[in-house]
Amino acid sequence: MTLPVLISFALFTIGLIGVLIKRNTLIFFLSIELMLNSANLLFVTFARQWDNSVGLVWVFFVLVVAAVEAAVGLAILIHLFRKKQVVDIDQYSNLRG
Amino acid sequence: MLAEAVLGSFAVLSALGIILVKKPVYAGLSFLLTLLMLSGLYLQLSAGFIAAMQILVYAGAILVIFMFVIILFQDAHAQIEKFKAGTSRVLVGVSALLFVLSIGFIAQQMVLPQKSEAVSDTFGTVQSLGSALFTDYFFPFEAVTPLFLVAIVGAVYLGKRE
Repeated sequence: MTLPVLISFALFTIGLIGVLIKRNTLIFFLSIELMLNSANLLFVTFARQWDNSVGLVWVFFVLVVAAVEAAVGLAILIHLFRKKQVVDIDQYSNLRG
Repeated sequence: MLAEAVLGSFAVLSALGIILVKKPVYAGLSFLLTLLMLSGLYLQLSAGFIAAMQILVYAGAILVIFMFVIILFQDAHAQIEKFKAGTSRVLVGVSALLFVLSIGFIAQQMVLPQKSEAVSDTFGTVQSLGSALFTDYFFPFEAVTPLFLVAIVGAVYLGKRE
């Protein structure tokens, strides 16, 4: 049973590295989705482990939040893109406030 | 166990593809492969409904929006290399390495219980998931509705031209 846990760790780490090193905003977003997926895999693994459906219910909610996040995040991205015509995340450093 | 290993290694390889390939469209396709492999893993873990949801919601909805936006920004992707990077890659690499090491340390300390081979017949069925969603988790399930509504209104508002 440790195998899916290790796969989940690997996927989360790859997603985190993607967030840290990629400068294309869309790949940055894809890496965040990858981290959400690794959390989902962990939920399913432990739900199977304890023979309990509650973990699957949480996977359902993570899916919903991922869909909402993609919709709003990409809308914000399109809005920003219209202003600056770039996808480089360093060009959006003024969002720090 | 073998199926899990094969699916898992393909999932990790295609996830590496997301951050290694040059063109964003290929990264999107690589993510699609990761999603399919994860769906196979869910089937291996006897969560059939979640596997179907994964395909429908992620591959069917989220990835399609991503692809549309990637294609919309087509001309801008090539310009990324023109700008100077704001962060030092060495520092980022060191922090990622430290993260991996700390995760490895935690994983060493963690003792996982043995796999219970006998999983009940109702595990992962639509029936068990539905009864959990409409009894114990009824309020969060209904709270999803206004969340979606707010997200749709926000996305349309942000997306419309000034």
